[in-house]
Amino acid sequence: MNNLTTIDTSAAGSAAFYQPQGNEEALFMHAYEHQLPVLLKGPTGCGKTRFISYMAEKLGLPLHTVACHDDLSASDLVGRHLIGDGDTVWSDGPLTRAVREGGICYLDEVVEARKDTTVVIHPLTDDRRILPIDRTGEVLEAPDNFMLIVSYNPGYQNVLKGMKPSTRQRFLSMSFDYLPAAEEAAVIVHETGVDQAVADRLVALANSLRELKDQDLEEGASTRLLVYTATLIAAGFEPLQACRAGMIEPLTDDTQTVVGLMELVQATFGAQ
Amino acid sequence: MEERVGQVWDRWITKLAYQGHPEAAVQLDDVKAALGVFYRGLGGDSGLTISATTPTLHRARRNWLHRVAGTGSKVELAWYDERCLYLPQRLDVFPQADLNRELYFWLAALAGTPASAEVHRGMNWLVDNQQRCLQTLSLFPGLKPRYQRLVDAFTARRDPAELKHNGQAAVLSAIYQALRHPGSVTELPADDFAPDPVPLWLHPNPPRAEGLHSEDNGKDRDSSQGQSKAGEQRRRQAERVEKPEENGTTLGVRHEADLFSYAEFCQMDRGCEDEDDLDQAESIANDIDKMAVTQDSTPVASRIKFDLDLPSAQEDDIPLGEGIRYPEWDYKRQVMLPDYSCIVPMESRNAEACDLPGHLQATARRLRRQFEMLTNRSVRLRSQYDGDELDIDAYLQHRSARMTGRGDDGRLYSQKRQLQRDLSCLLLADLSLSTDAWVGTRNPGEDCQVIDVIRDSLYLFSESLHASEDQFAIHGFSSRRREHVRFNCLKDFGETYNDTVRGRIADISPGFYTRMGAAIRHASVLLAKQPAEKKLLLIVTDGKPNDLDRYEGRHGIEDTRKAIQEARSQGLVPFCITIDEQANQYLPYLFGRQGYTFIHRATELPKKLPQLYLKLTGKLLEH
Repeated sequence: MNNLTTIDTSAAGSAAFYQPQGNEEALFMHAYEHQLPVLLKGPTGCGKTRFISYMAEKLGLPLHTVACHDDLSASDLVGRHLIGDGDTVWSDGPLTRAVREGGICYLDEVVEARKDTTVVIHPLTDDRRILPIDRTGEVLEAPDNFMLIVSYNPGYQNVLKGMKPSTRQRFLSMSFDYLPAAEEAAVIVHETGVDQAVADRLVALANSLRELKDQDLEEGASTRLLVYTATLIAAGFEPLQACRAGMIEPLTDDTQTVVGLMELVQATFGAQ
Repeated sequence: MEERVGQVWDRWITKLAYQGHPEAAVQLDDVKAALGVFYRGLGGDSGLTISATTPTLHRARRNWLHRVAGTGSKVELAWYDERCLYLPQRLDVFPQADLNRELYFWLAALAGTPASAEVHRGMNWLVDNQQRCLQTLSLFPGLKPRYQRLVDAFTARRDPAELKHNGQAAVLSAIYQALRHPGSVTELPADDFAPDPVPLWLHPNPPRAEGLHSEDNGKDRDSSQGQSKAGEQRRRQAERVEKPEENGTTLGVRHEADLFSYAEFCQMDRGCEDEDDLDQAESIANDIDKMAVTQDSTPVASRIKFDLDLPSAQEDDIPLGEGIRYPEWDYKRQVMLPDYSCIVPMESRNAEACDLPGHLQATARRLRRQFEMLTNRSVRLRSQYDGDELDIDAYLQHRSARMTGRGDDGRLYSQKRQLQRDLSCLLLADLSLSTDAWVGTRNPGEDCQVIDVIRDSLYLFSESLHASEDQFAIHGFSSRRREHVRFNCLKDFGETYNDTVRGRIADISPGFYTRMGAAIRHASVLLAKQPAEKKLLLIVTDGKPNDLDRYEGRHGIEDTRKAIQEARSQGLVPFCITIDEQANQYLPYLFGRQGYTFIHRATELPKKLPQLYLKLTGKLLEH
């Protein structure tokens, strides 16, 4: 019916595992209680999305996630008339649905979306908390348990796709970063079941790679990539091969850089 | 005839005495790029470049063959200072190429492992290296098997039991012990000679020429830009000596201990030297142990002509105003030096309005047509969920789908969308003296210099951007110490591109040095004032940042890097276009690997620049 990437995880069974970085949980609870919108920033794969699903579960709210892309427009969020059999039917977009039903609406990588989306976001983020729908003439008032959350990655092309200050100033902001080594290793062990020793080495390697950001690499290895790699290792892959597929090749296309990084992997894991 | 026999004998005995394995040699150049990534990944200083080391005297005992051949007294070992990581030009210690390659990575690891403070100072070579080994192996346990292989191969080369001198055998055994069990040996047994060099360790006493990089030596010194690119870029041990008295001897024996070392004072008056002499000087320099460079009042060797006096005020471009002061980054002290350098905006004095040169007309016409397509225009997107008009095609398709009983998603509209190019670009051209060099042929039979290439590039760039109606400005810069950073305005943002601007472009000429940081700071200020949403700072250069004072080397690199970071934080997008073949050694550190591009054949720059701009701004504006 429509092509939006809407993931409703409210029905997910197992509780999401989340390793807190600081006071973000308390801050989030307050934001929810006082009906304030929240902005999350941080490098890719450091746990922003995971944090949201964890909090949604904790608060018992349905979660509407929209992965924003460069062609996402306001009507993709709000909804549109579709041609039905003999007549036109109004179809709610994910934002409208979240406002009607209540729950968390999470706009992932919001800076990717087209600029007209800010028009519909703005009235929801101030004290009015309304969503006017021009097409149908409705003005929806957000229920108390509605919460708008946006995220973006300031390191990634921040200059080109930065957030406008006027939009940014409407949100409570939280900054995320990669976890300290010991905690990141704990996350990997929990997620994949690899040995503590393997997890420690993976994290050490990732921190080496993060040092190369902006010079040899565009971006450092994310916790997500670490989990992928650890999954391969847990499934019986050779660590060297797993690192190559999970951590090195995803980060660079330059062959000489790959050679150098593989030497680094060997120095960390040892030649087998 | 005698000479011929001598040469053959020399070649034969040298080969016989040589202990390496040339057939398994690994060249530094082949592994340099990967080594760099590896070294930085281990935690090595990311500002260092990797460079070939100089062979140094080791003063260990030599075998009779070496003594007969007169070789083997020097060895290339790894070491590093604040600017470079020096590794041997090639390694052929082991008969297997694999092992030689591994040795390179091992040396990089040894130098790259962050050493604790006490490792840095006060410890002797033996203990220091063992401590480093321990630290490297404990941080990177994966290196253990490789280290073991290297140690095994190294210790298998020579058995201490076969050595005639007891002292030497004892020393060698101790070194083997230290290699096999790092940290276990604190002192070497006494011996008349220095211990044999250990290729697995860093240099015992790295050659450092004191005063070579003195803060501001006030002399017009060779900027090393003119030196030959080709050939081995081995560093030569250099130390600064006092200029001998006019009637003094020309053979200065400096170290009584090395009576057999070969140090020579050659008065080099490069002013009258021709090419042959230069070649000879190079071969002498390879043999000589220490090359002494005196601080003479005349400029030192250079392969390009130097003409560094500023032109007289009547001849020079017109300075606009007193000059604008900018800070400079001192990386050693990690502080900004306020108002340190002075930007002098200049306007060309002799520029006369002119038309586009004939040889560019055809290309310019083609580019103009291409860039006109980019002017702000709108496109109609078909098959949209909503829009301002019905898309007839989509509607027909929808109807027919319905009639055949299939459903579709009802994208029946077409939408008009304005494609905005809200973009400002400032092009900053390096007009330093190095642009005086010859680079190739522009048209068949017509040689051209870097400055010609840059001039043509500026022309075609302007023609293209003029056609696309993008906002742009062009400035050139060159510097002569921090007080005089010339900033030539070729086209301001407000100006239209016309014959006057073309005249200014025609008038550009090679200037002085490249104080890039200050120029970037000033350009950033100009560009940041632009109202456009996206701002591109293009830097076209042919070499590293440098200047007469300490801006040469690390200081200049770090300051430029800082200036680029500042530009980024102001929301500008800096991008560098270079024709310097060595660029990949320092530009990633300055601009990031995605932040620059290298044009292989300089003469293609004029044609490539507009295309590059297209690609860049396409990336910028695809949103």
